[in-house]
Amino acid sequence: MKLLEYEAKGVFSDYGIRIPKGFVIREPEEITAHLQEVGDAVVLKAEVDVGGRGKAGGVLMVDSTSAVEKARELFSREIRGVPVREILVEERLEIEHEYYLSIAIDRSSKQPVVLFGDTGGVEIERAAKEEESAIRRALVSPLLREVPAFLMRELLAGAPADIAPVINNLYRIFQEKDAMLAEINPLVTTPAGVYAADAKLIIDDNALARQGIEVNRDLSEREREAERHGFSYVELDGTIGVIGNGAGLTMSTIDLIDYYRGRAANFLDVGGGADQERVMHAVRLVASLPSVKVILVNLLGGITRCDEVARGIITAGVDVPVIVRMAGTNEEQGRRLLAEHGYRMVDSMEAAVRVALEVGE
Amino acid sequence: MIYGDRNLGVIVQNITGRQGRFHTELMNAYAREVGWRGIVAGVAPGKAGMEVDGVPVYNTVKDALAEHDATASVIFVPAPAAGDAIMEAAYAGIELAVVITEHIPVHDTMKAIAYAKLHDCTVIGPNCPGLLSPGECKLGIMPAHLATRGEVGVVSRSGTLTYEVVDELSRAGIGQSTVVGIGGDPVIGQTFVDALARFEEDPHTKAVVVIGEVGGNLEEEGVRSTDLPVVAYIAGVSAPPEKRMGHAGAIIEGGEGDARSKVRRLSEVGVPVAARPSEIPGLVLELL
Repeated sequence: MKLLEYEAKGVFSDYGIRIPKGFVIREPEEITAHLQEVGDAVVLKAEVDVGGRGKAGGVLMVDSTSAVEKARELFSREIRGVPVREILVEERLEIEHEYYLSIAIDRSSKQPVVLFGDTGGVEIERAAKEEESAIRRALVSPLLREVPAFLMRELLAGAPADIAPVINNLYRIFQEKDAMLAEINPLVTTPAGVYAADAKLIIDDNALARQGIEVNRDLSEREREAERHGFSYVELDGTIGVIGNGAGLTMSTIDLIDYYRGRAANFLDVGGGADQERVMHAVRLVASLPSVKVILVNLLGGITRCDEVARGIITAGVDVPVIVRMAGTNEEQGRRLLAEHGYRMVDSMEAAVRVALEVGE
Repeated sequence: MIYGDRNLGVIVQNITGRQGRFHTELMNAYAREVGWRGIVAGVAPGKAGMEVDGVPVYNTVKDALAEHDATASVIFVPAPAAGDAIMEAAYAGIELAVVITEHIPVHDTMKAIAYAKLHDCTVIGPNCPGLLSPGECKLGIMPAHLATRGEVGVVSRSGTLTYEVVDELSRAGIGQSTVVGIGGDPVIGQTFVDALARFEEDPHTKAVVVIGEVGGNLEEEGVRSTDLPVVAYIAGVSAPPEKRMGHAGAIIEGGEGDARSKVRRLSEVGVPVAARPSEIPGLVLELL
């Protein structure tokens, strides 16, 4: 889960990384009370979870006299389709130089990678593509608690030495906060020291519980329901409801619908070891989508048992036609149960998709 | 076959859990069918002295290995304790850990894999269905009846999609040497590169099917690293573009992780890419 900028900056500050003075407002008038804390030259930043926020007009440089008016303007705007509910008001830093710093996971070497560039800012990706040396990288063993000094020297090259503690603090955050990505772009030097002018922190969804983070993003009723049951669920714009087990098989099913010029209404992965109750909730959830004309259930048993799946479909008892393709563990019991209740079983994935397309038309 | 044969002695960690128990029974049924040694011991803290499907249970991996000759472990330990279970296995001398558990925090996975490497323990997974060498052994949860013995390797990031492909291959009369699910998590012990290197050393494997998904560039890295003939299939070509992980994702992976550009890059290095799972057998036959 991606934290908002001010949430990430709060974490950075807790770990001793300097951040600009600032405060968060939810109404334009709230600015006045705190403005003296940040000075005359301020930055207004829309706290929305979108990339390219600056280019989309979500960051405004203003002075204290026009701050309230500009904040009102920003609150009335949508940034790449996302309404602005919170604005971070910050002091404007006296920037000497901008750097790029991030820590991510290098999938191929299976360990954290620290990336450091002598030029930060919005053009960083282009710079990295054009010139490989624009970004230096260091792989760090996940068994270490800090970046070894020799790697730190390679990363910094000629950059100021007081950036080193920032890198180590960010590395601690990365490990201790279960981050998938910790990024400071730009990391800036000022006469008052090194500051994180921006902050990005993505927390591993599998670690939210132990980090004590509650997910409270804007979810629809159905999305909330899906989350309650632990389904991976995405709504699409077609008419064929899709329930699968495993992300790969479910995606592949949707690809196949697309191949035959149909359109899936959703992606729903019930996950491993789906039992009767989970399958029942999945079928009811997808059937509740108004656009759904037919539901295609494509399940291959490994850790999932077909007899449980069959009972789940039967107890769901929805009005929409359900086309079932199952194979794997306890397949025969599942097949028999479904047949007894008049559900249509199809033998292959391709055939199931074609039948679903026919029924859905 | 790769990673082991019918002589492989295997333990199951968390053998007393619902999944551990269920799949121990299935693995042992397979062992009896093909003459593999199968599951020789189980581990569950505090449950020493119990039996599961006739298999003796021990409190620790160390205790189990003191009494039994085993070099591999299948791990069904719940996510919060799974990283620790991998390290316990590696420390006790297990050479191959197959981790079925899903939802393990990625930092736990990274640490456990790095630690296992120090103890010369190979980790497959996590969040994977394990491996199946038809006629030899089955470590994990793959439905064995779909597979047939033969000369084509299968390596996949998916679970169930792998079964689909194995089913297609078997129906077309194409047997498999080993089917390995390497797992769908961002960090996995054996990547495509690692598995393909093993297949390359295996005299029984003549070609490999690579099954990938959206995200990352490990599929491409894998097929570039091998001399074996490869057929690929990538799931997710019709999926809306994945949410990007800041700038770092793009910089590290040097391009988009979406399925369409992945298919294009695989095609560019001369790998036939199937548009549907059902096209895979035909493409494999062209290579053999």
